[in-house]
Amino acid sequence: MKLERLRAIAIGVALLLIWELVGRLAGRLLPPPSEILAQYWRDRDVFPAHIWATTRSAAAGFLLGNAAAILAAIAFCRFPLLEQLFRGVNIALFTVPAIVIGPIFVLVFPGDLPQIVLAAVLVYFPTMAAMLVGLNEIDPRLSDLVRIYGGREAALMRFVRLRSSLPSLLAGLKVAASLAVLGAILGEFGSGVRWGLGTFLLGSLSQGDAPRLWSIGLAATGLAMIGYGAFALIGAKTTGATKAVTLANKLPDRLGDRAGRRGGAQRLAILLAAILTPFVLWEALIAATGLSPIIAPGPIETLSYLFVSPDSAAARATLLNAVGETLPIAALGLVSGLAAAFLLASFTVLQPRLARLVLPVALVAQNIPLVALTPIVLLLFGRETLASVFMAVLVVFFPAYVLLSQGFALTPHAARDLVRAYGGGRFKELRLIATPYSISYLFAAAKLVAPQALLGVMVAEWLLSGRGLGNLLNVSRGNLDYDMIWAGAMVSILISVAAYQSVAALERLWR
Amino acid sequence: MITALATAGLGAAVAFRARDDRMEAKPMAEAAVDLIVDRVAKVFPGPQGPVTALSPTSLKLSRGSFVAVIGPSGCGKSTLLRIIGGLETPDQGAVLIRGKSPEQFRAEGELGIAFQDPALLPWRSVRRNVALPLQVLGRRVADHAGQIDALIQLVGLAGYEDALPSQLSGGMRQRVAIARALVTEPSVLLLDEPFGALDQILRRAMNVELQRIWMKSGATALLVTHGIDEAVFLADEVAVMRAKPGRIAEIIPVPFPRPRDPALMTTPEFHEICDHLAALLGEAGDEA
Repeated sequence: MKLERLRAIAIGVALLLIWELVGRLAGRLLPPPSEILAQYWRDRDVFPAHIWATTRSAAAGFLLGNAAAILAAIAFCRFPLLEQLFRGVNIALFTVPAIVIGPIFVLVFPGDLPQIVLAAVLVYFPTMAAMLVGLNEIDPRLSDLVRIYGGREAALMRFVRLRSSLPSLLAGLKVAASLAVLGAILGEFGSGVRWGLGTFLLGSLSQGDAPRLWSIGLAATGLAMIGYGAFALIGAKTTGATKAVTLANKLPDRLGDRAGRRGGAQRLAILLAAILTPFVLWEALIAATGLSPIIAPGPIETLSYLFVSPDSAAARATLLNAVGETLPIAALGLVSGLAAAFLLASFTVLQPRLARLVLPVALVAQNIPLVALTPIVLLLFGRETLASVFMAVLVVFFPAYVLLSQGFALTPHAARDLVRAYGGGRFKELRLIATPYSISYLFAAAKLVAPQALLGVMVAEWLLSGRGLGNLLNVSRGNLDYDMIWAGAMVSILISVAAYQSVAALERLWR
Repeated sequence: MITALATAGLGAAVAFRARDDRMEAKPMAEAAVDLIVDRVAKVFPGPQGPVTALSPTSLKLSRGSFVAVIGPSGCGKSTLLRIIGGLETPDQGAVLIRGKSPEQFRAEGELGIAFQDPALLPWRSVRRNVALPLQVLGRRVADHAGQIDALIQLVGLAGYEDALPSQLSGGMRQRVAIARALVTEPSVLLLDEPFGALDQILRRAMNVELQRIWMKSGATALLVTHGIDEAVFLADEVAVMRAKPGRIAEIIPVPFPRPRDPALMTTPEFHEICDHLAALLGEAGDEA
């Protein structure tokens, strides 16, 4: 154990030295660690305040979002119908490109609240999903046992479900912790607050000062990793058990499970209700905040802005144009990211030892807040389309790789041994056994990352390229074009949900 | 003794019956019927149309008796046990336990159950696992602390009260499950292949233990099993079930006196009954 730790430290130090060396030779793009450290020192007057502001918003959003997520998971477990009705809301919250609702929250909430609420929104889904899976997946014998003593659902919840969901909940919280940091930073982009890593990043991007950009990206990553690590540690301490490393990815499949038993008409009614619920909630929330319909239009106003109002044609043209710029890039990023992940993950079969080295890196990397990557992307690819593509690939690759290598690792050994017993090599094993087995993981990964690809492209567009949907939202925000902000947000969410649902539909076709 | 029997059906009073009283009640057991399964049937929807898990089946268990149900896979023996426990509702017929429905009966803590899998809560110590039924019934665990420790001792786990399930062997976990099944002092004990996951050697040892524990408890026991020798060693009566459709084909009495010694398993009489059962099950197998 100690030796292993020493070796890890040695590898870390070696990597730092190589980085330093390459940094000194490569010059501007990759500043050496010593220069980044010096930058921290130069910015020592402002850095702590920026970090503190982001930490505060992230922590508040983390608490808020997780409280909602835990209560929701318990309610969904107790009343499956409720979960079906809220499916539309849940999928929307899962797929929502966080950057599009940031500007809306800025319109609706005062002060630090936009960042906090955005962090809470990002945190909600992974925690809710992980907890719900934990609550639902209990040993059926335990349910029998409680019933044998006259216990009902309440007793089962109290004695069995809550405690058995703990490892799963902690796995969700781990992911949520780093998402809270991302949410806080994305919220700062639009809110014009004085302090925060997002504000700092936005202000520094135009200067193109590599050491400073890296220092901000690393600070954001560090913050997210501290949260992630804290919950990983708590998880390891309290449960000891090795739980699946991926979080919530299971849920979207699981959501569909219990719908089967109802009749056709009833199912259609539930489906319609699930589609309508998000819009009803939208209307209700606006009514509750009492905001002017000019700043905060409801679903009906937004639809009429796009289809009925005098400038609807112009608005539609602008939006369609932006979508036309964004979608191909997101699709390209998604496909290439997935392909790269699939190829690399197949090394799990071809080169198990190499895979064992890469997986921990990917596990950590998938939790790096994507805004922390923006500086690197800017420095490497500039502000052109390629930057947007690369951003999407980056966001897609790591989670997809983690999920796919699990898929490859989980192929039944007996099936693989069978190939070997007949003298087949590793490539045969990959082709005949591992690849077919991991196709379902490919779909799961695609569902998970399709919305992320869109988010990645939109962040790049907002911060770097100045094109597409991301830029449209940023510009509308600057022009106080409220109708366009809401319409753009709605369209982005709908695209994201559509992307998710089409992967799900493809998956059903495949089966 | 008579009073013990008279009050036995009276719900709450049952829980406070003295253990010794119940042991004395044993010899008179054949007098009263504890459990009646009356023409119970169950059909499950299957991928190729409905499957008759259980065609109308009847069974009676005398108070304090030990009945084993044996049969091939898919003969409905587990379904039968689950219907008796109120975990499945029958499509036809009814189950009466001391004149009550399973749902009423179990709400009084009169039912104990042990499965093939011990189904322990992994985060609870042995003691707290054994206490779980009391908590579900809403009883105060503190009032039963002495009884819980006595049960843990009875199943041979003294010294392991605070151990977690992960620290125990398979056989020890199954003992915890048995202790848990007895903690409410149930009058009916349902055992669904409780030693099915254990190896043959351990299983024999556990059978001897189970007989001892059951004799102390005085409960009426229904054991579902695959093991012929297990059934013959433990039961007063063995019900042989057949599949397609699931039904009880025959009930074979096992007349050996108690307590039965492991040496019994080497006697020709024991083997005669086993062979007879094997033959019956063989026919059942041919049919399927």
